[in-house]
Amino acid sequence: MTESSGSAFLSISGLKKSYGGLEALRGVDLALQQGEFLCLFGPNGAGKSTLLKIIATLLRPSTGQVKVLDFDLHEQPEKYRAQLGMVSHQSFLYQDLTALENLEFYATLYGVEQPHKRALELLEQVNLTARADTLAANLSRGMQQRLTIARALVNDPSLLLLDEPYTGLDEHAASVLRDQLQILHSRKRTIIMVTHNLRRGMESATRLGILAKGKLVYLQEKSKVDPTSFEELYFRQLEAL
Amino acid sequence: MSSLKQIRFLLGKDLRIELRKKESLVAMAFFGALILVLMNIASGVGKQVDVESGAGILWVAILFSSVLGMGRVFAREKENGCVAALLISPISPGEVFIAKALVNFSLMLLSQLILVPVFFVLFGTNFSGGPIALIPILLLVNLGFSSAGTLISSISAGTRRNEVLLPILLFPLILPLTALAVKATAGALAARPLSELSGQLEPMIAFCLIYSAAGYLLFPFSIKED
Repeated sequence: MTESSGSAFLSISGLKKSYGGLEALRGVDLALQQGEFLCLFGPNGAGKSTLLKIIATLLRPSTGQVKVLDFDLHEQPEKYRAQLGMVSHQSFLYQDLTALENLEFYATLYGVEQPHKRALELLEQVNLTARADTLAANLSRGMQQRLTIARALVNDPSLLLLDEPYTGLDEHAASVLRDQLQILHSRKRTIIMVTHNLRRGMESATRLGILAKGKLVYLQEKSKVDPTSFEELYFRQLEAL
Repeated sequence: MSSLKQIRFLLGKDLRIELRKKESLVAMAFFGALILVLMNIASGVGKQVDVESGAGILWVAILFSSVLGMGRVFAREKENGCVAALLISPISPGEVFIAKALVNFSLMLLSQLILVPVFFVLFGTNFSGGPIALIPILLLVNLGFSSAGTLISSISAGTRRNEVLLPILLFPLILPLTALAVKATAGALAARPLSELSGQLEPMIAFCLIYSAAGYLLFPFSIKED
């Protein structure tokens, strides 16, 4: 996926999603250029995870469209997914495979040319080389979290989706994640992160948004945002619930 | 990577985990053998059973034990959201279905390598047909049962009552195949030639095709959240 001049890398228009009578998303419009790092904040139930799941093709929207360059995600999903990475609430790790086997499995699944080499590289990046042959089930929680981050990067994704990635991370894993995000961002990868954590979100992102009650109520470049007034705005949204 | 390679690769991963843990296979073989022993005691130890009863006993043991392993294969995929990881990967849901059905097929086949000899040791003294005659029937039931079972376990694995829901949904669905298999097995145990069993084998092939096609087509809907 390469950016064509002038067109958005990711465009979302009129996106709505209902679960029965519950409207999780009520018309979201968003456009991102390649290399942007968007951090979306929002209270519980704002529709953040639903939005990420739709972008990841895990959910179909009720109405509206998501496009990455000219791919319609739900019509041509396989080519798009090859460029996608995701860190979710869940680790996506097989407990009965070793750290190395987990990464090799996903690398092969994504068609990475030298899966063994790529897996070893990633283990080194997240400081888990010494635990390469340990079953994922026997890794400590912090190590599993680092392995989860490595897993999401196995295909060197053009678009990385992060759903509350800092939740429950120990300091080491958080610093590994922060470093990896900086590397990806410097390599013009597009990143969308949803979080409650204002400090973590604001330190890395280039754009900030607030999703509340299924609508994108605020979207601005970080350079134009005053952190104090942004925090006030965010807490006003929380109080309005 | 081609579809065939993807399927082979997924199958290899699941079999590697299964051979490492052996939890499904051991449970299936042990439970199946236990059913056979209980049936042997219930029918009177040392007493001879007719081919119809023998066929029924064999299939009760195979199908009830297979459900144990089938539930576990998909439950493992749901742990830690691995199924979501597959859904956001370049592999298609249809390829996931084929790989999972082949895993279930393989597990059934491996457990039958234990259960069929145990069955003949316990019940086989008065059967004129041997275990070799059962091979086409076993393969057909394995195919139909693993296709239908993969589809149903993809639905039930996400629920809190997986172990209960899977047999309740699956057994009625495969009832026609089971009835045909019991009749064909009775014929095979009575040493009737394969050509005489075509009245059962041909509809069994048709049911297998229906279960496989329906499973392949419906799986993408059963596995997704929406």
